[in-house]
Amino acid sequence: MNVFKNATRRQALSALGRVAAGLAALFTVKHVKAAVQGAVSTPAPKGYDPTAHQWQMAIDVEKCIGCGLCAEACKKENHVPKEPGYFRTWVERYIIKKPKAGAMVMHGEVVMARGETVVDSPNGGIGGFSPSAVPKPEILKSFFVPKLCNLCRHSPCDQACPVGATFRSPDGVVLVDWKYCIGCSFCVQACPYGCRFISPVTHTAEKCTLCYHRITHGLKPACVEICPTGSRIFGDLKDLSPSNPLRKFYENRKLQTLKPHLGTEPHVFYAGLDGEVR
Amino acid sequence: MSQPKLPPQLTRLLLVTVAIVAVYFAARHFLVPPSFGQYGWYRADFLKEAAALPTTYAGAAACAECHDKVVAKFAKSKHKGVACEACHGAQGAHADDPAIKPAKITDGLFCVRCHAANPARPEKFPQVNVAEHNAGTKCGECHSPHHPTEGL
Amino acid sequence: MMLPPILLETTAHYDELLKHVQGFIYPNELNLLWSVLIVCYPYITGLVAGAFIMASLERVFRVKSLQPTYRLSLLTSLAFLLVAPLPLLFHLGHPERCFEVMMTPHITSPMAIFGFVYAWYLMAVLLLELWFDYRKDLVEWSRTATGWRRLLYSLLTLGVRDVSLDALRFDDKIGRAITIIGIPSAFLLHGYVGFIFGSVKANPWWGTVLMPIIFIFSAMVSGIALLMFLYLVTCWLRRVSVDMACLETIGKCLLTALVVDFAVEALDWIHRLYIADESLDVLVLLASGRLIYSLFVMQIFMGMIVPGLALAGMIVYKAGVKMRQMVYFTCSLLVLIGIFAMRWNVVIGGQLFSKSLRGFTTYKLELVGQEGLLTSLILLAMPFVIVSVMIHLFLPRSEMAARPTSPAIQN
Repeated sequence: MNVFKNATRRQALSALGRVAAGLAALFTVKHVKAAVQGAVSTPAPKGYDPTAHQWQMAIDVEKCIGCGLCAEACKKENHVPKEPGYFRTWVERYIIKKPKAGAMVMHGEVVMARGETVVDSPNGGIGGFSPSAVPKPEILKSFFVPKLCNLCRHSPCDQACPVGATFRSPDGVVLVDWKYCIGCSFCVQACPYGCRFISPVTHTAEKCTLCYHRITHGLKPACVEICPTGSRIFGDLKDLSPSNPLRKFYENRKLQTLKPHLGTEPHVFYAGLDGEVR
Repeated sequence: MSQPKLPPQLTRLLLVTVAIVAVYFAARHFLVPPSFGQYGWYRADFLKEAAALPTTYAGAAACAECHDKVVAKFAKSKHKGVACEACHGAQGAHADDPAIKPAKITDGLFCVRCHAANPARPEKFPQVNVAEHNAGTKCGECHSPHHPTEGL
Repeated sequence: MMLPPILLETTAHYDELLKHVQGFIYPNELNLLWSVLIVCYPYITGLVAGAFIMASLERVFRVKSLQPTYRLSLLTSLAFLLVAPLPLLFHLGHPERCFEVMMTPHITSPMAIFGFVYAWYLMAVLLLELWFDYRKDLVEWSRTATGWRRLLYSLLTLGVRDVSLDALRFDDKIGRAITIIGIPSAFLLHGYVGFIFGSVKANPWWGTVLMPIIFIFSAMVSGIALLMFLYLVTCWLRRVSVDMACLETIGKCLLTALVVDFAVEALDWIHRLYIADESLDVLVLLASGRLIYSLFVMQIFMGMIVPGLALAGMIVYKAGVKMRQMVYFTCSLLVLIGIFAMRWNVVIGGQLFSKSLRGFTTYKLELVGQEGLLTSLILLAMPFVIVSVMIHLFLPRSEMAARPTSPAIQN
């Protein structure tokens, strides 16, 4: 017994079919258009092929003198707000103290040990570091560590972005499309290294771009250019010539990355990194 | 022969669903940016935009084009690894238009930012206790910045 | 559009923030980004899921005593679901670009997938279930109502006016099927919000396997408490006598959910304390320092222990009806506040300590501003306004008392 009054199954299916055909037509038009556009225009800058490079930065911790010129140059080059809280790169100082008297006592004897670690980064290191509050006699070891985007191969920031505004370019740089970013800050939360921030000017995520606008024109990133001691080493992994500064570094030094246990596969290698560095 | 009819609720809902899906795909057609997806899940055109930003620092190679004598002397000194702009500041504007003069360095203790003694600095790095070493004199009175050990 | 407060700040703002920094933080961590709005967002979505589960208890598990609150649960769920995306929208740096999440969703991102989970839950679960349950009434009201209400009810029937016995039987069957799908969908909805935090491996406070589970159970707790609160308030305001069997059932459900939620959160802490990994020191300092009031006093003591004991007491001690209603009302309020504190502890707490595990920053909650206290209060009040309108339109006073099931379905 049939009490339903409306469309029969056939009528419903035919209506569905017509709509589906319309959708398919729209879909085809869009993709043909995109294919044509792709063939006609190229997104890369003139004369620069992003797939021919794989940019990399490395840090020699033992050379850093904490002058802060890199952080300052970066802010100038990339027009980052001068206020604290917005750094594309910065320098940290680690002071490992001697143990307090009686702190490490084994079988009644005071033994050698590493005491408390004090870390600071006043204004990201810009303007240098004044003598610390820790008096010199109490210091066991002290050093500076430059920090920046770690160029992760499995970057959690890329994974976290809901719209595809942050990504790893074909030449290895993690960039943020400021015209597409919605400013949700998920990438900032996802970055384990604290290298991202939300710009108060553009209200989008911002981070070290390896000075993409310089490296695509044969220049070095501003921080590498400015560093007086060669603590920052920059090169192209696809450059197999012996003059590649990364080559000697990779061949001769024992290298570490930050937070390797998180599986982000960071690719900024540090030489001379101490276990206290996070 | 009677056709089994779909309940009116279902047909109406199917229609609404199809309409919503159609609107979604139509919206995608207009709202997804043109170069999206070309290299990966992002706007490929952005690579061009990112590369087109203006530079502020000229780079040491640019300075050598005009200031070749100073650069040659500099290259023989202890400071040879130091970029010109590390002390002279960003000179991109000056490199483009030499009429724009760089600011003079007037701070007599300018060198202190790198060379003041600091326990965190590598031990082999030349550093001095400024109060003792300078005792009121400017660094430049004994040291030439372009060749710091000259005449000592 | 209000100017983002940060542009109006001077260096004095940053100096003040720096003054409150303890230990070492990465320089970029000075500004706490996910504000109280992002506390409101999981709070509101949790209420959605929890309220829906109560409706499903009646529909799927045939807990007859919950009949009086069936429609109220669904309407509550919908009212809160409609407001849920608003805190996110207000928080975005570029809300005008929000459509990008649906147009180019990056499927590796929990936030992007959440857009679709939300759409699924709204359209395929909640709206459908409401429509099938209300269809008969909508057709009837569209005939008897006048003015704009007549138009509204007519529109909502979607033009389908068949209310024959067969059609109603079909409605009931489909409605039950949708609720069955709806239960895992509700878990997915709020579990996904939990996963948004649980997926952040960079943050040891957030990135745990238990996070979606904790969020699901605290959602249940808050949703049940909300239903209890709304049922009592609606009955009181409409001068309808409260169905005590219904209230007692809700109370027992709330107690069960509270116990399970407490157990899961305790498990998280026991696990952390036992494995004692690198992050434990800073997290203990966080819990005993900056979060001491919101965690121990508001979330645990006021939000779980006191209501838990009171609810258990209601099972053991047979107090009078008035007294029981007051106790349940108070418990529901305490739980609602306690779960808000829980969301605060997760969201704000997770950003107060540095990822270097060496220090703490501070959160400056503005009173007015795009992400201020006033905005949050307005956003939290909105669903209550919406649900009042819905009750007025869709829940006639005569329905508030337990209604018998319609004859068609009884056969």
